[in-house]
Amino acid sequence: MRIKSFDKHYYLMLLPGYLWLIVFSIVPMFGIAIAFQYFNPGKGIFHSEWAGLEHFRYMFVLKDTREVFFNTLIIAVLKIIAHLVVPLVFALMLNELRKLVVKRWIQTVVYLPHFLSWVILGGIILDLFSYNGPVNQLGAMFGFKPTLFFAQAELFPWLVVGSDVWKEFGFNTIIYLAALTGINPALYEAAGMDGAGRWKSLWHITLPGIRTTAVLLAVLSLGNVLNAGFDQIFNLYNPLVYSTGDIIDTWVYRTGLLNLQYELATAVGLLKSLIGFILISVSYFLAYRLINYRIF
Amino acid sequence: MKRKVKAACVVALSAVLALGACSSGSETATEPTTEEEQTQSTEPADPYGSYEEPMTISIGMQVDPTDKDLPAGDTPLDNQYTRQIEEALNIKVEHAFTASAANMRQKISLAIASNDLPDAMVVNAVELRQMVAAGQLADLTQVYERYASPEIKDIIDKTDGAALKSVTFDGKMYAIPGVQADADGIHIMWIRQDWLDKLGLEPPKSMEELATVARAFVEEDPDGNGSADTIGISGPQSGDGKMYANFLESKNNLYGFDAIFSAYGAFPGYWLDDGSGKPVYGSTLPETKEALSGLRDLYAQGLIDPEMAVREASDEPIINGKSGIFFAPWWMGYGPLTNAVKNDPEADWQAYALPLDADGAFRPHAATPSTEFVVVRKDYANPEVPMKMLNNLFKNEMENTFDPSKGGPGFYPLRVVFAPSDEIEFTNKAIKEVLAGTKTKEDYVNDRPYKLLPSDLENITKIKQEPYDDWSIGTWTPDADWGAWTRAYSIMVGGNPIVDTEMERINSLIYEQTPLMESRWVNLKKMEDEMFLKIVMGVAPVESFDQFVEDWKRQGGEQITNEVAEAIQQ
Repeated sequence: MRIKSFDKHYYLMLLPGYLWLIVFSIVPMFGIAIAFQYFNPGKGIFHSEWAGLEHFRYMFVLKDTREVFFNTLIIAVLKIIAHLVVPLVFALMLNELRKLVVKRWIQTVVYLPHFLSWVILGGIILDLFSYNGPVNQLGAMFGFKPTLFFAQAELFPWLVVGSDVWKEFGFNTIIYLAALTGINPALYEAAGMDGAGRWKSLWHITLPGIRTTAVLLAVLSLGNVLNAGFDQIFNLYNPLVYSTGDIIDTWVYRTGLLNLQYELATAVGLLKSLIGFILISVSYFLAYRLINYRIF
Repeated sequence: MKRKVKAACVVALSAVLALGACSSGSETATEPTTEEEQTQSTEPADPYGSYEEPMTISIGMQVDPTDKDLPAGDTPLDNQYTRQIEEALNIKVEHAFTASAANMRQKISLAIASNDLPDAMVVNAVELRQMVAAGQLADLTQVYERYASPEIKDIIDKTDGAALKSVTFDGKMYAIPGVQADADGIHIMWIRQDWLDKLGLEPPKSMEELATVARAFVEEDPDGNGSADTIGISGPQSGDGKMYANFLESKNNLYGFDAIFSAYGAFPGYWLDDGSGKPVYGSTLPETKEALSGLRDLYAQGLIDPEMAVREASDEPIINGKSGIFFAPWWMGYGPLTNAVKNDPEADWQAYALPLDADGAFRPHAATPSTEFVVVRKDYANPEVPMKMLNNLFKNEMENTFDPSKGGPGFYPLRVVFAPSDEIEFTNKAIKEVLAGTKTKEDYVNDRPYKLLPSDLENITKIKQEPYDDWSIGTWTPDADWGAWTRAYSIMVGGNPIVDTEMERINSLIYEQTPLMESRWVNLKKMEDEMFLKIVMGVAPVESFDQFVEDWKRQGGEQITNEVAEAIQQ
């Protein structure tokens, strides 16, 4: 096939992306071999002895593996749901505001935390919820005894999801708002003529109008189901909440980088990748079936 | 494209570990170079000799990015230490990498995994073992024999073989062990004497008295600000905080409960003799259960920092005058106390070898002398260079060449501590003799290994006023010289309980990992840390300790115990 000169620019523009992909994603994949070896750093991955599936066997025996796997799943699913629902509701509410200045202002303010890193936000949130922090002081006014929120394993996933939604919902709100502006105002006028109230037009015009966007966001986020957010959890957790808060990424980090158990960490990471790969394939398939969205 | 990248990202995340590993080729076969042949010779060489040709060495170095000690224009690569090394030895130091203390372990781990090593660096016991197993290190047996200075050899010999044992694998020496003072491993009680006096209390001798004092500190407003905002006993911080030192990290545990555990006769984290010559892991013994239950009571009553294990910096309430008691080694002047006293000149932190156990004795656990090691990359042409740098460091510390105000000693490349094991006790006694007038500075000129003694004796009268048998904060004048005060206050106030107390020190049977520990210990340790914290903080019942012991044995603890038994047979 002859490439038209017109196309060449496009291929050229792809180049940096592909370089990035090769250097940071394709080449490191050879490291997966570590999961099947008795890895000896002195000999490297080409000369270490093969261990077969021994590390995987040990992985499935370990209580930790199951625990971090389910923690990851629970936190990620909660996050996905919250990230779909909260911005949607918020965008709808914002859309009903008449004063454009107020709307813009709110939109900007809720978007701001998106730009802060978790190192900073983690410190702020830990302080907010500390023993003598504002939350406990507020509770004390209503007669609650102060509690240590971040020491309670059953609370931790909710705090994580809550703070993540607070940080990120402004971003998705903007996407929904953009979709909302795409709805033809004539539809609202016509509905108004026919006597539809606000609720009726919300139900019959607004929601169907942004259905595609909502489904697309939902489906695409499936690929993230095993990314429960390393940065955030790493900055918030402590051993007391490992049982509900330790996720695959934090566990792999501690095991592999802090405790030098390269093989086991790689094995668990590989399992995560496999499941992630399946989920991404599924989400691509769903996106195609539901809203006819595809790349290839 | 976007999704494809994402897919690849997910895979890549797992492979991040392997990032560097790809670059590791095979470098197993090495030709012996002329220099290596030279080191095979056993004649002693000049430990301080300069090189004719300039040498370069690239090192991995810990640098504190917030440290502002260096004068303007100086950098971690160009300062009084590096200039002196270049001048005296003709060695040029380069950085293969630098990292802050928080990231150093991770950086070293990556260097090991990718086999992309600096010529030399300072590692801990676990990393040393890993590197020996990977065949990454140079054999330093001959280097040590020929080049180590007599003073350093003397200090290493005085550990009765413990320091050498920690670096010897199959009869070969794979690292130069640092040697730290014994006192670093003795955890004592630091307490606000001014609070005690104000409330009319005595230093707590038993666990019951400790609870009484802590309750008074919490409830009776010792800082007099009208609100109940004081902490009885400080606890470990989140992240790197530990409730007790263990056999792998046997010293310098700050804000733990080491002395409380030993007051119950419990030595968690240590390998002990069960009385019949068999090893047993201290964390699995009934004494530990009892101690945990005692700590749980203290915590439930609010006498231990309610935010322990979640608090990000345990030194904060100590510095801010909100905490009354904490457990730590002697050197707390270097720890939070300098800032605490700067904040409140009346904050009178005193140290005691308390609380006592049921027999009325203070029986602390003791540490291994060596926890940091200088290692040299296998193919480095001049493996004696790091040894010469260490000789040079020790010599110049004896001669007081360096000025700590122009950059702390941590800026010396590859620095590890070589201290006589009784440095703190010896210095403490010497200062008392000089203050009492029974001896003079000149009487100590021959005690050269105590390298800081001359300046200690010189400075003491600047910062310590009469009466010389009273060490409360009012008798010190830290404003005259904060640097000297930091050291002297640590040695005197922190050293007194160690000098004045008869104590039976409990040693761990081993201070190294056994082979199976390499793969299993991390998970066992995690289980232990999690369970013990939960018991103390009331999240899990005390009875879950029994379940822990069973799980621990089943998940490899039993086999590891057998390995330890074999190890101590040898």
